Amino acid sequence: MFIGFFYKLKEVGIPVSPTSFLTLHKALSRGLVSSLDDFYTTSRATLVKSERYFDLFDQVFAHHFEGAELPDLTGVELDELARSMLEEWLKNPKTLASALGIDESEISKLTPEQLIEYFKERLKEQTERHEGGSKWIGTGGTSPVGHSGNHPGGMRVGGVSRNKSAVKVAMERRYKDYSLSGPLSQAMIGEALKRLRHMIPSGPKDRVNVDKTIYQTMKNAGEIEIVFDRILKDRLKIIIAIDNGGWSMEPYVNIVQTLFDYARAQFKDVKTYFFHNTIYDTIWLDTSRYKRPQKIDEFAKLDSETRLIIVGDASMAPYELMARNGSIHIEERSGQPSIECLKFLAKNFRHSIWLNPIPAHMWGYTQTIFAISSIIPMFELSIDGLEKAVAHLMAK
Amino acid sequence: MISDKKTFSGAKSYVLDEELAKIVNISMALEMPLLLKGEPGTGKTMLAHAIADTLGMPLITLNVKSSMKLIDALYQYDTLTRLNDSRFGDSKKDVSNIEEYIKMGKIGQAFTADKRTILLIDEIDKADTDFQDDMLDVLDQMEFDIIEIDKTISTKHRPVIIITSNAKKDLSDPFLGRCNFHHIAFPDPKMMRKIIKVHFTNIDSDLMENTVNVFYRLRELESIEKRPATRELINWIRALKSDPDFKPKDLVKGDIPYLGILFKKSPDYARAINTVSRRRII
Repeated sequence: MFIGFFYKLKEVGIPVSPTSFLTLHKALSRGLVSSLDDFYTTSRATLVKSERYFDLFDQVFAHHFEGAELPDLTGVELDELARSMLEEWLKNPKTLASALGIDESEISKLTPEQLIEYFKERLKEQTERHEGGSKWIGTGGTSPVGHSGNHPGGMRVGGVSRNKSAVKVAMERRYKDYSLSGPLSQAMIGEALKRLRHMIPSGPKDRVNVDKTIYQTMKNAGEIEIVFDRILKDRLKIIIAIDNGGWSMEPYVNIVQTLFDYARAQFKDVKTYFFHNTIYDTIWLDTSRYKRPQKIDEFAKLDSETRLIIVGDASMAPYELMARNGSIHIEERSGQPSIECLKFLAKNFRHSIWLNPIPAHMWGYTQTIFAISSIIPMFELSIDGLEKAVAHLMAK
Repeated sequence: MISDKKTFSGAKSYVLDEELAKIVNISMALEMPLLLKGEPGTGKTMLAHAIADTLGMPLITLNVKSSMKLIDALYQYDTLTRLNDSRFGDSKKDVSNIEEYIKMGKIGQAFTADKRTILLIDEIDKADTDFQDDMLDVLDQMEFDIIEIDKTISTKHRPVIIITSNAKKDLSDPFLGRCNFHHIAFPDPKMMRKIIKVHFTNIDSDLMENTVNVFYRLRELESIEKRPATRELINWIRALKSDPDFKPKDLVKGDIPYLGILFKKSPDYARAINTVSRRRII
């Protein structure tokens, strides 16, 4: 039963497992489900394990049991198409009119929405993609799986209610919000950085070491000798270097600030430095980058187990990275190109990473990102990226 | 469903939506743990209390901590007391019987209880992934071994297991595979009015309308890190009620006192104050 439904869920990218499908059937066979309402609740609770997929589930449910239009799996292309069509329309209404087979004067009366809809109607007629009298129009999201992108609900033009409340509920798409990947909050950064620690004994000896106690007691021929140990505490040393210059980091100020706040609260031994675009001979302790410079050569004196976290968009003109005296600041004239400085840092600190607030799928467009990530492992400043970064920092 | 004694349909101090009631009942019938996620303040923990209340089952709460090991939740072998007892021999316990020095942890208690219990595992996301997976193994098989005495403890009555998580992040796949899942959405204004009525039985309708309106508007302020939740709203109403100078009309005028109860982070508070004083948000 409902095998088609199950595979439809799988097809749109909800991670459903056969086991959970069997659980659903267990519920069905025990008579726990007596209406479509019940089925909606039960199937969602058993099959879908993250609120991120609730929206998608609602849509598939509405599709399967009511014939509502499924979010276009080809939504990306269609939206692209719609956009380029609109651009075309603005530039050259006449060509478009003839392409769609309507009069130019008529096309100019349409609003952009109407135009897209008209276009889609045409598309449907041609391919007969929508059978069963569905009267729903949706623009489809940009991505049905809801990774990093948006998932606009689309413009809905009404729907036919047949008094099946579960379907109505499903069609309301109450969980739309959760399919967006929200901004990183402090709590989420804390979540990701939690495992970043280095435990060493410190403080008073107030923990009983059972093994040693037993050993010592045996050695004393039964005379009890309790052995105490120090408690383990986090003593990880961390250096954070933040790119705080220029406009390119501007959109990410909030997220970096959150990271910074968290790091200060969490780690006992954290030093923060600032730079602009990339690191040359000097790095600054003050945000205005001129009062308290620090030669990076001196980092060689520091514990090589210190974790170095560089935060920046790594986007700049290639010469800034590759050329001697590449800095865009005239007073900052260094003997060696920035890339050598980065190599030095990477060599000096075994555990160093670069966190980049730019989404990973955009990295390919910037040369310097590629160059830097080949020296210092680069991770996206997102939950997933932070997690990978922490794994890298804690690797032996 | 509601008339049946063994099903759950809400409690006096807890407003339950029908969907959640259904999911609770199904999880109980399938004997599967129910994983609840949702914003802080949506009543995840309260739900377990409410179920325990309604069904008259004892509630055992395991508050997960980051340093916790699974064994702590199962049982504890009190070696030190035994060592001491063996040395001085003035204890009533039989030193040669290790079992007397085994104390049950929270999960162990739920397993060995004489009647069916509710086991609430609160904020599972605090522990690391290994803990979560291992624990689910135990909960799946409903038994664990006490190595020291070579004894297997299995459940007398399968407890009803409620697990809560605050994390945005998903838990591991094997974990999710063994639970039913529900996400408690933040209550809508209609639901919120019901919740308030439960807490303040004869509340003035003006006060309720105005506070709920203002509350939802304040929640929508941009760039707020910790948005006020149900708990904050209830405390706020309590504060407003106890202020003799306060009149519900003031809220309509845009005069909103005690913002500090709603916004607990100083940047949030500053922003809220700023917005409220700059332009009337009503």
